[in-house]
Amino acid sequence: MNGATDTESTDATVGAMPAAPPATAVRASSRGKGVDWPGIALPCGVGLLFLIVWDLAVSFSGSDLFPKPIEVARAIVELIQHGLLLKYIVASLFRVSWGFALAAIVGVPAGLLLGWYGRAAQAFNPMIQIFRPISPIAWIPVAILWFGVSDAAPIFLIFLASVFPITVSAMAAVRNMQPVYVRAAQNFGLSGWELFSQVIFRACLPQIITGLRIALGIAWLVVVAAEMIAVNSGLGFLIIDARNAGKRYDLVVAGMLMIGLIGLILDLLVRKLENFDEVRWGYANRS
Amino acid sequence: MTRTAHFFSLRRTVWAFAIVWLGAVTMLHAWMNLGLFAHTASSRSQYRFRIGFLPVTCHLTCPVTDFINKQQTGTSMFDPVRFNGWPELKEAYLSGYTPATFILAPMAIALREQGVKIKIVYLGHRDGSALMVRKDSSIYHIEDLRGKTIAVPGRYADQRLLIYRELKTRGMSLDDVKIVEMPPPDMPTALYSRAVDAVTSGEPFMGQTELDGYGRCLYQAKDVWPGFISCVLAVSEDMIRDHRPQVQELVDGIAASGKWLDTSMAHRMDAAQFVSTLYYNQNPRLLTYVLSTPPDRVKYSNLKPNRANFEEIERLGKECGMLEGTAHFDDYTDTSFAPDDDKVVEQNYEPKTQ
Repeated sequence: MNGATDTESTDATVGAMPAAPPATAVRASSRGKGVDWPGIALPCGVGLLFLIVWDLAVSFSGSDLFPKPIEVARAIVELIQHGLLLKYIVASLFRVSWGFALAAIVGVPAGLLLGWYGRAAQAFNPMIQIFRPISPIAWIPVAILWFGVSDAAPIFLIFLASVFPITVSAMAAVRNMQPVYVRAAQNFGLSGWELFSQVIFRACLPQIITGLRIALGIAWLVVVAAEMIAVNSGLGFLIIDARNAGKRYDLVVAGMLMIGLIGLILDLLVRKLENFDEVRWGYANRS
Repeated sequence: MTRTAHFFSLRRTVWAFAIVWLGAVTMLHAWMNLGLFAHTASSRSQYRFRIGFLPVTCHLTCPVTDFINKQQTGTSMFDPVRFNGWPELKEAYLSGYTPATFILAPMAIALREQGVKIKIVYLGHRDGSALMVRKDSSIYHIEDLRGKTIAVPGRYADQRLLIYRELKTRGMSLDDVKIVEMPPPDMPTALYSRAVDAVTSGEPFMGQTELDGYGRCLYQAKDVWPGFISCVLAVSEDMIRDHRPQVQELVDGIAASGKWLDTSMAHRMDAAQFVSTLYYNQNPRLLTYVLSTPPDRVKYSNLKPNRANFEEIERLGKECGMLEGTAHFDDYTDTSFAPDDDKVVEQNYEPKTQ
């Protein structure tokens, strides 16, 4: 709310991140519940075009190292037949879920408090900005030394990658909140915890959810780096392990494809939160 | 009131979903990947430890010992932990997670120089390294490497010493070539795509370039530095102090597996199958090839640490700036566990297909 002006440029950047109303929700409400065929056909068409270009590019290159789409599809079938695909997806989801959940539990309250108490932000923000740009890959040696080679090490890396975006977006959300909400609530006699939970948290929810979406994307992004540690399962492990297996770049690309597809599904799940009235309330009050 | 009710609806939804999701994914992971719900043999009361290794032929005796132990007794004296790179393997050792590990000999010596409590107790292999160039390359002699880019596995790789030694005998130095560091699994592709002019590491990645038809061997370690040592078995001093019988059992097991591998080609072909599928996740044709073509490409006999061998590594390491030269044979080895080669008894195990 006050102070910590040295950080405003960074926070403004985060604060300016997607504040648009949830397009799907608005569209659904304005057009009724009919199936949005163009919304399905257009991305499918682009996907098909991508596959055709990919196939032609490999054919023209004459290389037998990079796989064609059909070879990647066969690799995915092979993984399913060996019972590995589901195991690896579960392992990666386990690590990302816990790393992200811990980051949300720590990051959201910390960001709200730092956004509300200017002095706290002044004290902690420089440290946050120092830690924030450090790549999770740089933390791998530390993670192994602290946690050995258990699931805790990749979870720690995923936590580190996602906690700072969540904290900073929650902090920026409080800073950018319209003061009229707080004044009105105070006029109605709200203060302390009630003011925080009933007004500030709600007003900040849209931006917090945007921060969570971005953080979830980052958490899923670093799964390959996190699983470079000697875990023996996961989609990141699949990619690294396929490099050991000789000329199995079909498995490498299969791992990449699965990471991308699951990332898309996770993003769609988080976007469902935007359909809640209390989140749309926050969007609706934006100019 | 309506908003309050909706707010709790969101909160409940988020919490319920989060709890169900985390619970489900945790249970599935425990069941599918950690085997927590599987019925396992009752754990042995004796000390169990983890041992780090990489999927290379230099560490082959580790999975062979584990596999044969399990075949014979249903369990193993140790848990092999496979790593994908040297840095992670080294860090796991430093953290105490793997009190025993297969490791590059110069890396173990360098760690000792830096005060790490590490002792080399046995060798991983002899020979088993090569320098590969492209088939269509104009490199036919060591001298042709002048000005060329050569990929080595890392800063403390013995293959770097091997190059240095070969260049030196021809009046050249490491400054005459460009050395880049690269994980061995990436080397075949780098050679194929002409990103580098030559690659050198342990097997099976060098053999892979031959199998795939674009690699040509410039030299095999066995031909230019007979008895070449790349990787060793090292354990922590704490383990030696507190669990001496287990260290002895480990060294005896590794020695017996080495003897077993060198006794018969049938043993090697069996190992190529079970190690590829159960431990390395590689196409068995790779190990089959490098363990047989030629049969002495890599050897697993005469693995007791030898002072003269290590003093040569020390000397070359110091000359090329890899080692400080402050740790010596008695500092970083403990040969009390290693049996003499003629006293090693091979594993009592015959392949089931025979």
